[in-house]
Amino acid sequence: MSGSPQTVSALRSLLSARFPEKSRKPCGGVPVSVGPVDDALGGGLPAGRLTELVSPGASGGGQTVIARLLAATQAARQRMALVDGSDGFAPGAVPAEMLRHLVWVRCRAPGEAFAAADILVRDGNYAVVVLDLRGCAERVLRRTPASTWYRLQRAAEASSVAVLVQTESLLVPAVPWRLILGGALSLADADAPREDVAGRLAVRTERSPVSATEEVAI
Amino acid sequence: MNYAVLTVPDFALHALRRSDPSLAGRAFALVSGEGRKARVSEASAEARGVAPGLAATLAMSRCPGITLRQRDPGAEVEAHRLLIAAAFTLAPRVESTGPGCCTADLRGADPVRTEALMRLRAAELAASGLPPRIGAGATPLLAAYAARCAEPVLVVSDPAGFLAPLPLFFAAPTAEQEAILKGWGITTLGGLTALPKAEVGRRMGSEGALLWERAAGESTRVLRLVEPARSFAAEWGYDPPVESTEPLLFKMRRFAERIALELRGSGFVAEKLSLTLLLEDETDHRREFRLPEPGADVEGWLRVLGGHLATVRTEARVAGVRLVAAPARPPQKQEGLFDTGLRDPASFWENLARVAAIVGDDRVGTPVPLDTHRPDAFLMDRPAESVEPPRGAPAHPPYGPTLRRFRPTWPVSVTCEAGAPARLEGGRLGGRVSAALGPWRSEGEWWKPGAWALETWHVELAGGGVYQIARSEGSWRVEGMLD
Repeated sequence: MSGSPQTVSALRSLLSARFPEKSRKPCGGVPVSVGPVDDALGGGLPAGRLTELVSPGASGGGQTVIARLLAATQAARQRMALVDGSDGFAPGAVPAEMLRHLVWVRCRAPGEAFAAADILVRDGNYAVVVLDLRGCAERVLRRTPASTWYRLQRAAEASSVAVLVQTESLLVPAVPWRLILGGALSLADADAPREDVAGRLAVRTERSPVSATEEVAI
Repeated sequence: MNYAVLTVPDFALHALRRSDPSLAGRAFALVSGEGRKARVSEASAEARGVAPGLAATLAMSRCPGITLRQRDPGAEVEAHRLLIAAAFTLAPRVESTGPGCCTADLRGADPVRTEALMRLRAAELAASGLPPRIGAGATPLLAAYAARCAEPVLVVSDPAGFLAPLPLFFAAPTAEQEAILKGWGITTLGGLTALPKAEVGRRMGSEGALLWERAAGESTRVLRLVEPARSFAAEWGYDPPVESTEPLLFKMRRFAERIALELRGSGFVAEKLSLTLLLEDETDHRREFRLPEPGADVEGWLRVLGGHLATVRTEARVAGVRLVAAPARPPQKQEGLFDTGLRDPASFWENLARVAAIVGDDRVGTPVPLDTHRPDAFLMDRPAESVEPPRGAPAHPPYGPTLRRFRPTWPVSVTCEAGAPARLEGGRLGGRVSAALGPWRSEGEWWKPGAWALETWHVELAGGGVYQIARSEGSWRVEGMLD
């Protein structure tokens, strides 16, 4: 492409003026109450978008992010769905009072998880849907057609729900936001309040709408 | 019933008729081919004596006054979109199976409510000029058979009884297979399935076994799902351009019916309508209407649009129209001052039932930890309708990383030094332990069968990762990862 950034910007303005319904941006976000994650996302999980959180190593903190998200959504009196691809959520690891707004789907295979997420994302009664694919066979996940992800993205846009996809390796094509949990928790963290543990997570932004825009401009 | 098939017989004929008011109540037929080779492909009920395959000239002599038309691809696309929109009001997983035919995945839906909904949709589609046949059954194939026999809705609850009298051609045998079976005296699906499948396969090969499966309605397949509508708009043209409101309102009703169904299928209502008249002189007349009450009621929309059109005077004839509905969530429940209820309770419970149909009833819900120290003890409860506000800080605030369980737990062999785990070895996990916390010993229910006793440790491996391991009856298991 030989267009200058100004030309692309002008074209974008023209398109948004001509087709306002196509360029409508979902508003608001859902804070995760994990400082490094909220900072990276500019305040919280964007509504109407998919966010991929990659935990490549052991004890990266992905489950702590879910626990904190449960606390944050309950404080905001929002409903949350957890589509658990490998049935790894431990209710006993979270205070019981933080589970009352949770709908937990215990799946046996990625196919079940995608089908359940497809339904719940369209529902409109949830503020956040977490699709946790950690622990699922990677060769099965790699065979997921891209159309499944695009379908999920379109559904999220239509219902303005924030969708957090947890994976062990980069998986979601063309995802607007992708964060990578870089560090590893240790036994030294065992005595720290979970809030502090969450605040120490190492988060790296691998992809964001800003970087994607810059790529287009270049 | 797991699947529903919606199909419209003589689809191209109905699609054209519903888009052209001049064809209402008249004898007409669709022809394919040109000149002398033109032949009737579909004929309306009013065209007496005319049947598909008849030469166009013969059709005109047999039925004087008959109108012969070519197919209209635009009208067929619009009619198919209407059918798809109707299917999305039954279930969120819909396949566009072919022209004038779609399949909906009904698993998890309430059967009584769904059957009532199918009858309602059938009546609405018929009123919209697209009389469907809707069949429901345990497999897509069975639902398709039911749709062919439906008048207009048929739910198959006894597959064997339904299939037995159906003629053999329902299972699409090849000419050779049909001849063989006729020689055996078999003319119905029931006659074929009365034979053992293995014997049919042995005599007629794998194709024969597949035919047997089709005859039994057992063949299943993965649906190729389509996306529900994301923009709720329609645009159509007039050739020649029009200068009165009647043709505008006729087509507007057809498109509005489709948009309203698409909105309902996506769980939306319209809060605003935008109408644009595209004029012959390449200018346009645009007007936006905020509806008095957000909804998907076509009659209400047409009252608003018709009232406006009656007052419009344009400089040129109307060559096209664009209608756009702005979607909004239906305000189905008024929220109290202190409760956060469900925005759409019907959709919430129905979708949970759909998810339960996929993963199992006992695997979806709100987890409630049980009053015991037994690890991983909880039950799945029905989700609450409202999200309660937090009741102050938790009595036992959480500390440390959060446990992520491995279900089932992983067997591991543990070497201990000085009473603490020093090394793990197992198929999925192993390595030197760099730090360990524990033991936490617990036991319970010793007074009844199923007594348990555990010694739990948290171990950090030198290669990274913190895990929860437990010893019970002398064997070690990895219960999960602290994450």
